[in-house]
Amino acid sequence: MKPRRVGPLVAAAVLLALAAQGAERTDEIVVAFGAEPQQVDPTRSSAGVDGYYMDLFYENLLAVTPDFERVNWLAESWEVVDDADGLRIAVKIREGVTFHNGDELTAHDYAYAFERQSDPTSRTAGRLRHVDGVRVHDDYRFDMVLGSPDGSLEPLNLILATIPRKYYEEVGDDGVQVHPIGTGPWKFVSRKVREELVVERFEDYWNRDAMPVAKRLRIKIIPEDTTRVAAFKTGAVDWIDAVPPAQVEEFEATPGVRVASLPAPNNLYVALNAIDAGSPFRFPKVRQAAAHAVNVDDIVQYVLYGQGIRTAQLAPGTLGYDPALKPYPYDPARARELLAEAGYPAGVNVNCYNLTTPREPYFKEVGETIFAYLTEAGIRCRIVQLEYGAWINLGRRDVRPHMDGIMSTMWGQGLPGDPTDAWSGHVHTTGDGWGSYSYESTPQLDAMIETLRTTMDLETRTRLIEEIARLKHELVAGGLPTYRPMITLAWREGVDFDPWPAAFWRSMRGLRGAEP
Amino acid sequence: MSGYIARRLLQGVVAIVGALLIVFVAQRLSGDPVALMLPMDATEEDFAAMRQALGLDRPLPAQFVVFIANAVQGDFGDSYQWQAPAMALLLERLPATLELALAGLVFALLLAVPLGVISAVHRGGVVDRVAKIFAMLGQAVPGFWIGLLLILFIAVELQWLPAFGRGGLANLVLPAIALGWYPVAAMTRTLRSSMLDILDSDYVRMERAIGLPERWIVWRFALRNAFVPLVTMIGVYFANMLGGAFVIEVVFAWPGVGRAVVDAVFARDFPVVQAGVVLAAVVFVVVNLIVDLSYGFIDPRIRHG
Amino acid sequence: MAEAVLPRPLLGRLLRAREGGFPYIAATVLALVLVCALLGPWISPHDAGRIALSEAMTPPAWLEGGSMSHVLGTDNLGRDILSRIIAGARVSANVALYAIVLSGFIGAVLGMAAGYFGGVVDALISRLIDVQMSVPSIPLAMLFAAVLPPGEAMVIFIIVLSYWTWYARLVRGEVLSLRERDFVKLAKVAGVGTPTVFYRHLAPNVLNMLLVLATLQFGSVIVFEAGLSFLGLGIQPPNVSWGGMLADGRNFIEVAWWLITMPGLAIMAACLASNLLGDWLRDTLDPVRRQL
Repeated sequence: MKPRRVGPLVAAAVLLALAAQGAERTDEIVVAFGAEPQQVDPTRSSAGVDGYYMDLFYENLLAVTPDFERVNWLAESWEVVDDADGLRIAVKIREGVTFHNGDELTAHDYAYAFERQSDPTSRTAGRLRHVDGVRVHDDYRFDMVLGSPDGSLEPLNLILATIPRKYYEEVGDDGVQVHPIGTGPWKFVSRKVREELVVERFEDYWNRDAMPVAKRLRIKIIPEDTTRVAAFKTGAVDWIDAVPPAQVEEFEATPGVRVASLPAPNNLYVALNAIDAGSPFRFPKVRQAAAHAVNVDDIVQYVLYGQGIRTAQLAPGTLGYDPALKPYPYDPARARELLAEAGYPAGVNVNCYNLTTPREPYFKEVGETIFAYLTEAGIRCRIVQLEYGAWINLGRRDVRPHMDGIMSTMWGQGLPGDPTDAWSGHVHTTGDGWGSYSYESTPQLDAMIETLRTTMDLETRTRLIEEIARLKHELVAGGLPTYRPMITLAWREGVDFDPWPAAFWRSMRGLRGAEP
Repeated sequence: MSGYIARRLLQGVVAIVGALLIVFVAQRLSGDPVALMLPMDATEEDFAAMRQALGLDRPLPAQFVVFIANAVQGDFGDSYQWQAPAMALLLERLPATLELALAGLVFALLLAVPLGVISAVHRGGVVDRVAKIFAMLGQAVPGFWIGLLLILFIAVELQWLPAFGRGGLANLVLPAIALGWYPVAAMTRTLRSSMLDILDSDYVRMERAIGLPERWIVWRFALRNAFVPLVTMIGVYFANMLGGAFVIEVVFAWPGVGRAVVDAVFARDFPVVQAGVVLAAVVFVVVNLIVDLSYGFIDPRIRHG
Repeated sequence: MAEAVLPRPLLGRLLRAREGGFPYIAATVLALVLVCALLGPWISPHDAGRIALSEAMTPPAWLEGGSMSHVLGTDNLGRDILSRIIAGARVSANVALYAIVLSGFIGAVLGMAAGYFGGVVDALISRLIDVQMSVPSIPLAMLFAAVLPPGEAMVIFIIVLSYWTWYARLVRGEVLSLRERDFVKLAKVAGVGTPTVFYRHLAPNVLNMLLVLATLQFGSVIVFEAGLSFLGLGIQPPNVSWGGMLADGRNFIEVAWWLITMPGLAIMAACLASNLLGDWLRDTLDPVRRQL
C-alpha cells in the first residue's frame, strides 16, 4: 500500500519544487563571474577587472552601445569649445537623474568626482592631467577646462565618474566600499567578498529602455573553470562568464543554451626589456628575432581552440586599426639569423616572467608555450611564475616594476578601443603621466604618443595611430603583440540577454530578465 | 580535576604562543616585515607608521611582545586586498570552514563506525577485507583528487549534487566526502582494534555468559567503550580536516578560511596569511582542549593522570 | 565462505603484506618510482617539457585517436603525459627522500635527547613538539609559501617542519623505555661517553622503527607535496610535479579526463606501495605489531 502513495507524492513535490524554482527565476537571476574586482569606488579604479562591479552601479557621461557606437548617456549634449574663455569641453547633463539613495544628479557631483579622480593618490590622476578643473555653471551644465588638448577623453567616455557627492562626504571612503551608490540600473544590496554580490533593479532608473526586467541579480564568484562550468550545467547558475575555450564547442552544441563569443577588450603582448644595459632586447634585431620565433597562429588554434584574434598591433575595430599591417611570420630559422646578426650566435639566456591570472583563459599555458617557442629559437627562458595580483600591486607604485627579461602580459582598453592610454603606459618611456610599466625608450615614439594624446580631431588621431603602429611594429617596440582573446558568455534559454561592451561585457546592462 | 584543567589550559596557551612565535619568525624570515605587512603602493609615511606599530626600533624580544600584544587583540594588520582587518575577514569565514570540517568528520564517522564494528565482529569476513582495501586506498588517494573526480562524475555527469559553493545540505555532501575520505582508514583501524580488545575482554565474556543479546553487547556496550580511543583521536583528525579543508575549499569554491588564505598567499596579502595560520592553531588547540576535557564524560573510568 | 567471494590472485597478493609475505607489487612500484627518479631523462620517451601543439590532447594509446608514441596521451600543450609522470616521479622521490631523511634525523636526535636526558631537556623538546603539532601543516605551509621563494627547497623545508615531530615522539618514547634497560645502564656505569651511548646503544635500537615510519611516510609526503603543488604553492613550472599536473589538468577535466587521472593514479600507486611496504616492514621488524 504505502509505496504506491509515495510515487505521486514525490512527483507532486518535485513539480512543486520545479514550479517554485521557475517562479524564482523571473525574480532572481544567478550569474557566475570568474574574477572579482577589489574596488567598487570608480574614482579609485586601477585594474580592468574593477569595472565588473562598477559598471553595474555607475554610469558615465557617454556610453558605447552593443554595435560599438558611442552615444550620449548621462550627458544630454557636449562639445569642445575653444574661445576667449579657453579650451574646454562643455557638458549639459540630463535632468531628473537620481542616485540609488534618491539624491538628484547635478553638475556639482562631477566637480567632486574631478577632485577625487585628479588627486595624486588616484590611479586616474594621470589621465586627467590635461584637465585643469571642472567649472560648474548651474545644476546641469559644467565645463571641463583643458590646459591643453587631450584626445583620450572621448574614448574614456569623458572619464568623470558619476558619484553622489553628498553621500561620499557623509560616509567617507570606507562607507563607499561597504555600500556603493550610483545612478546605474543595478542597486547594491549585499556583498560577501570572494563569494557573491547581490544587486537589485533600480526602480527609479532614468533610462526606461535599458531597465532590467529581472528584479534581483545574484553574482557568484567562481574562479575555477571546472566549478563554474559545473555550476552552470547543474543549473545552479543561469549565466556564466568565461566559458573555457576548450568547451565552447560543446556549449554551442547544447540545446537550451545560448552562447556569445565576443572580443575581449584586452590585448595580449610579450613585454621585452629594451632599456636595461644588460638586456639583449635593447637591440631591435633581438626583438625581431623574438617576433619571428613564436607561432602565435598555432597558439590560437591549439591552446585557445580558436578563441583569439591574431594581432600585428591593434585588433580590428580599434581606432587606427590597419589591416595592411601583418604580423611577423613564424620563422625560427630567421630568428636565429637575426640573433646571430645582433651578436648572439649562441643565443641568449633570459628570465621569462609568466603572469598567471584567471582574467584571460589559459593565460598561463599561453605564456608557457610562448617561452617554449622562444627557447627553441635560441632565446632560452628561465621561467619565473608571477601572480597577477602581486604584479598589479607592483604597478601601483610610481617606480617601474622590476622586470629584467620577458613577460607575457596584457593591456586593457575600452571597447571599441583606443590605444592612446595603453601606449602611454607601456611604450612611452616615462608613461606620459599614466604611471609607467614601460620597458621601452624610443624618443621618436615618445614624441608621437605625446602628440597623439594632445590631438582631439578624430581624423588626425586615426592617422597618427596608424603611423605609431607601423613604427612600433617595425622596431618591435613596447613589446610583441600576440592576440586579442575572445570571451565566451553562456546563458540558459529563457534568460533574455544582449551583451553590452561595458565592463568587458559583464555590466549585465543587457540583461532584460527571464521569461516567466 | 581542576588542576588537570588548569594544566591543560596552560599547555594550550603555550602552544598558541608557540604558534605566534612561528608566525613571528616567518615574518622576519622574509627580510623586511614592514614590506610584508603593507600594500605595494604604501607611502613612506605608511612605512614609518608600520615600523612604529611593529616596534621595529626595539630589540627582537620586545618586538615579539608587541606582536603578542597586537595578536591578543586580534590585530594582525589590515588585508590590503580587501581593506579590512585581516582577522575579522577570516572570522567571518570561520563558520563555513568549521561546517565543512564537521561535515567531513561526520562523513568519516558514518563510514568508519559500521566498517570498524563489522570488521571486528566478523574478523576476516568480506567487510573486514573490503575495509582493509578501502583503508589502504583511502590513505593513498589525495582528497583533492577525489574532489575533482566527484565533481566530474557526481556533479557534472550525473548531476546528482551541486558542485560548488555553500548553501544547503546538498552543497555540503561532495566536499565533505573529499575531506572526510582520508581519516576513514585510520578511524576504522583504531575502532576495529579497540573493538577486538573489548570483545575479547572478560566483561564481554561475562555478558555473553549471562545471556545478554549479542547485538546489544556489540553495538551498545562494546562500541561505547571502543569509541573512547577514537574520541581521543578526533581532535587530531579535526585538525587534519581543518588543514585539509584549506585545499578542499579551493576545489569546491567553498567560501571558507582556507580559500581566503590561499588567495592571500597569491596576492601577497600577508596579514591575512598570518591571521589564517594563527586562527587555525587557535581552533586546533581549543578543539583538542574540549576533546581532552570531555574524556571524563564519555568514559568515567578514565581519570586524568 | 565469505573469502571465496574475493578474486584471490591479485588481492591476495596485495593483502599478503598483512599476512607477512613480501609485498612484491608494492616493492616493484616503489622501485619503479626510484628508477624513474634516477634514470628519468634516459628512459623517458619524450622530453617532459617538449611542447607540440599539433599533438595536443591526444588520448591514451588504447583509445580511438590515441598513438603508441604517447602511451598515456598528451596534455593541452601536446606534452607527453608518460614523460611528465616520469619527470614528476623524480621531483616526488627527491622531495620525499630529502624531507624524510632530514625530518627523521632531526626528529631522532631531538627525540633521543629528550628521552635520554629527561628533565628540562625533555620538557623543552616536548613543548616544542606540542607547539609544532598545534599548527596544522597545510596552513603552516601557506605561511612559509608566502615568505619564501617557492620551489623544491621550500617544499622540503615545510615538510621537515611538520614531520619531524612524528620521529621525535616515536624515538623519545622508545628511548625512555630503553634507558631503563640493562645494557644501557651498564654502559653508563662502565663510563661510556654520552655520544657513544647514543651511537652504539640507542641508535641501532630505534633504527628499525625509524625505517618503518619513514617508509610509511614516504607516501604521505608525496601526497602532501602534491597538495602544495596543486595549490600552486609547491613545485613551480617548468618543473614537473604530479600535483602541478593535476592543477593544470583540472581545467580540462571534462574535455580530457586523462590529464587528471594519470597523475592521480601515479600518486595513488606510489603512496599505496609505500604504505604496504611500510606495513610489511613493521610486521617483519617488529613482530609485536606496535602501533605507530
